[in-house]
Amino acid sequence: MNPHPAPALERAHDDETYYLNMGPQHPSMHGVLRLLLRLRGELILECDPVIGYAHRAHEKMAENRSWIQFLPNTSRIDYLSGMIYNLGYCQAVEKMASIEVPVRAQAIRVIVSELNRIQSHLLWFGTFLLDIGGITPFLYCFDDREKILSILERVTGSRLTYSYGRFGGVSQDIDDVFIEQTRSFLTRMRKQAPMYHQLVHENVIFRKRCEGVGVISREVAHDYGITGPTLRAIGVDYDVRRAEPYSGYEQYDFEIPTRTGGDCLARFEVRIEEMEQSCRIIEQALDALPDGPVKPAKFIKKLKPPAGEFYFAVESARGHFGMHMVSDGGDVPSKIKLRTPSFSLLSSMSEVLEGTMVADTIAILGSVDVVLPEIDR
Amino acid sequence: MSSLDLSNLELGSEEAEYSSVGFHYIHRAQAGRIVAVAEAFREAGYHLEMLTAEDRRTDLEAMRLVYTFSRLDQLDRHMVTVDLAPEIPGAQAPSLAGIYPAANWYEREVFDMYGIRFDGHPDLRRILLPDDVEFHALLKDFGRIEDAPDEGAANK
Repeated sequence: MNPHPAPALERAHDDETYYLNMGPQHPSMHGVLRLLLRLRGELILECDPVIGYAHRAHEKMAENRSWIQFLPNTSRIDYLSGMIYNLGYCQAVEKMASIEVPVRAQAIRVIVSELNRIQSHLLWFGTFLLDIGGITPFLYCFDDREKILSILERVTGSRLTYSYGRFGGVSQDIDDVFIEQTRSFLTRMRKQAPMYHQLVHENVIFRKRCEGVGVISREVAHDYGITGPTLRAIGVDYDVRRAEPYSGYEQYDFEIPTRTGGDCLARFEVRIEEMEQSCRIIEQALDALPDGPVKPAKFIKKLKPPAGEFYFAVESARGHFGMHMVSDGGDVPSKIKLRTPSFSLLSSMSEVLEGTMVADTIAILGSVDVVLPEIDR
Repeated sequence: MSSLDLSNLELGSEEAEYSSVGFHYIHRAQAGRIVAVAEAFREAGYHLEMLTAEDRRTDLEAMRLVYTFSRLDQLDRHMVTVDLAPEIPGAQAPSLAGIYPAANWYEREVFDMYGIRFDGHPDLRRILLPDDVEFHALLKDFGRIEDAPDEGAANK
């Protein structure tokens, strides 16, 4: 029994209602999420998400090591957007300390970030459909995702926790093999994308599980600070890459896919289209890849950003990832707060899930695509 | 939706250099005014992007709350800081959970990590750390690695 139950859950319950613990060890829960549900039959009367099972104290670690030493941590906050987080942290510190990034390194950052985004969306696609009962799509998308992991592994040395960024650039230059592999992946992905759509989009069971299910309104999104594909599925075309461009995103021509339904189906469609937009960005970046160095001539060993408060953001696969940083002028951060998109998303779930059915919980949580380690940090 | 009106709130406001700090304005508010400040931002269509705290007891003799308010339709980010009493327990601020539901979890996290209490919060309990611990992990006097003996010193 929870020693500190939420006041809402303390209310006297009649004989018809009961509590159900979903997770933290449950095959359809994402990572280590636990939902404390109060139910009448299969109807959810109240939902209290319980988090913290994967808390690794990243923010505390940040205050106990130098700005440079925190770099490997950043790939481990959201293990599916490791590259985006890592490069996001780099660009934030670069802005603080006024470090120039060579244009070639910026283009490489965009390419690998977008590969990372496609990889994350592919994994979401597979696990989401697995959650609602479709096993086959999982096998297809993992095959494609494996291609990205291999491409990134060749240049970064790891498959998930890349730590590829360096202040002022990236650790390794890309070569012709990388470019050729990435181009052939894009060709493959474009052939596969219509198949992904056809595989499930008209499926009766899929439609019934998704259409009109888990509708998130504009008001709820605004109240809880929801961003990313979930926000775009409500019809708000907010994307950090467009709103406050970084790493040269303003040079690329891409669309921000939106839907207006705000339901599971809308979120599904937005993400499928985002993969194509990421392909477009990668293609443009490869076509216009500048020559030149990818990191500063002299390796940065000591870094002391000026004292002050800073806030920088990037668009991860799940939305607005912000970093609030405080420097006292020394080489150890005074504070780094990680504002993660999944945290905002999950905090809205007590409101979104109220009044839905238990079975829909799985579809809704799957469709908003939360990653628990970035919530727990 | 009206335009942002922060007059009469006794804010110490300064314009900031967005390209180097990432926000456009910084405001220093008194704790008693934060609800009115949040209402003004909400009225003007801003959302609460983030809320966190800083342990500034050594340099500023204060526990500091930091709020960022932002818009989705145009780039305009405001950072609001509120300095509280430097005592833990003791530091207290009004809750924004009734204005921005997003504040509910952010305030729970600040309470969990810093021990700052929020008046009027509907459900102020720990969120990331276990319920039965007695420390607030992000306070500067808790768990500093520099307090531990330096094992690498002999090799230098």
